[in-house]
Amino acid sequence: MAEILRKKLALAGLIIILIFVFMALLAPVLVGPYQSSLQFTTPDQPPSSQHPMGTDESGRDILNLLVYGSRVSVLVGFAASFVAMVAGTALGLVAGYYGKVTDQLISRVTDFFLVIPWLPFVLVLVAVLGPSLQTIVFAIALVSWPTTARVIRSQVLSLKERQFIERARAVGAGRAYILRKHILPNVMPLVWAESVLTVSSAVFTEAFLSFFGLGWSGIGAIESWGQMVNNAYNQLAILRGQWWYFLPPGVFITLLVLGFAMLGYGIEEIMNPALKRRGGAVAMKKKLRASAVP
Amino acid sequence: MPGDPTRAIIPRGGDIEAGGNCTGSQIGNARCGLRAQLIAEWGLDKPVVVRYVIYLGNLFQGNLGTSITVRPGVPVTQVIGPVLSTTLTLIGIATFLTMWLGIILGRISGWRRGGKTDVSITMFTLVGYSMPSFWVSLMLVFGLAYVVPVFPLQLQVSVDPVVNALNTLYYWILPILVFVITNVAWFSLTLRNSLTEVLPEDYMVTAAAKGLNERQQLRWHALPNARLPVVTASALYFGWIVSGVIVIETVFNINGIGLLTWTATQRNDYPLLGAIFLIATIGVVVGNAVADVLYTILDPRVREG
Repeated sequence: MAEILRKKLALAGLIIILIFVFMALLAPVLVGPYQSSLQFTTPDQPPSSQHPMGTDESGRDILNLLVYGSRVSVLVGFAASFVAMVAGTALGLVAGYYGKVTDQLISRVTDFFLVIPWLPFVLVLVAVLGPSLQTIVFAIALVSWPTTARVIRSQVLSLKERQFIERARAVGAGRAYILRKHILPNVMPLVWAESVLTVSSAVFTEAFLSFFGLGWSGIGAIESWGQMVNNAYNQLAILRGQWWYFLPPGVFITLLVLGFAMLGYGIEEIMNPALKRRGGAVAMKKKLRASAVP
Repeated sequence: MPGDPTRAIIPRGGDIEAGGNCTGSQIGNARCGLRAQLIAEWGLDKPVVVRYVIYLGNLFQGNLGTSITVRPGVPVTQVIGPVLSTTLTLIGIATFLTMWLGIILGRISGWRRGGKTDVSITMFTLVGYSMPSFWVSLMLVFGLAYVVPVFPLQLQVSVDPVVNALNTLYYWILPILVFVITNVAWFSLTLRNSLTEVLPEDYMVTAAAKGLNERQQLRWHALPNARLPVVTASALYFGWIVSGVIVIETVFNINGIGLLTWTATQRNDYPLLGAIFLIATIGVVVGNAVADVLYTILDPRVREG
């Protein structure tokens, strides 16, 4: 039962993610061109046949905003995560394999960023550097890379002692070569698992940034789901009962993050043999029955 | 901290080279030369290393700086002090409830992993974890304070301290609920996973063979071992709390450290921000240290190693 569940979970997560990716890519096909602010025709409308999700305070169609918002989440999520993963993996590899002083140095830096609370840090960074796409991606990556670096480093440390590495060294392989040809491929499954979690946290962080008014703004900026919730909040949509404004963006954020969480959880269960062992009362009873004297 | 602190007080531009050196008719204006004066006063023209040493020196004397925009002229410690207790109380209650609920749920779902209860609990907690806390706050306020006015929309302050305390606690129910919903997964999933690793162990078979019923096996053998990763998880949790608190306090307008942090960020109050970061970081480090100590107390095997 649990096996099927694991696969289903990961699969369901993957489907959710793909739905959002397609939504992001096919936005113009689905809802037409992106509506920027000046549409003051029919503000604050509840859902109707013309506007399936109602309109916001400047008359923009909310469904339109929702679908285009997926672009921001997907873009920022994947970009920030990519940067964080590359940096984190590289530093984790180097710290783990080269050891000694390099390890100490990198670990100190990692710890430094790990201990700082991420939300205030990312808020201050974007507040000072300005909410352009690059700064947002950079700020999110900056708070995401340490966890990956740490995880990769410990994996490398345990891999280092394995026999095939020793043999490679005996044959005269250089350190960079071993890193590239032996360690990196063995670390990749962990990298994939970590990147799933990193993307989900990047999407999450972007939503938080947007809620505080530090979302992506400027020329060509698209309003993200978090920004929609922020606008709703500022427009007192709650007190006006405009549930169609603040409910859907949050649902989408939750779904996307949930999708990644499910996928990550499923992958983790597949990869970690310890978790695979059938734990629980059911398994114990089986074990007892098996060892019972016939 | 990135950014130029003098800009917090003297915005860029303006018709007088705001704060710059004044000439001729502008001389009478108080802002003349203000920027230069501030730079000299705060030592911003000294090299970074020197400023860091001065900072450390001040730190050891208990001088964390003076707020510049949020409460100009007031020492930072006086700004942070009163609000810290509010936040700590709020977080204290919330964390206690979250851990308690998380452990119960983790226990139930870990014992019968893969069963229907487990699946539903896991899904619920995961969904709660995925929901952004600002959104959950808004939803709860909408549902439970607007549509069905069970909870107050604002905190009513009264003269009577007892009534005040009760009002505050009642008002805090929603923010605490948000906290619990978004964070319970952390604990329940950790316990569930560690329980999964513990249950197939041989000593669990022994416990069953001894004739203990399920409850006793859980309580005396499984949980004491499964508890340990939860302790580590709690330590990591402290880092998360500081971030979570900002959102909740801002949405619910609770006067705590979270709201202070956000206000300080908006107004570029660098000394205040720096002090808050310092305190938060120390908190995280202390939390980790406490967790390490707890771990040695709870697990005798670690002591011998």
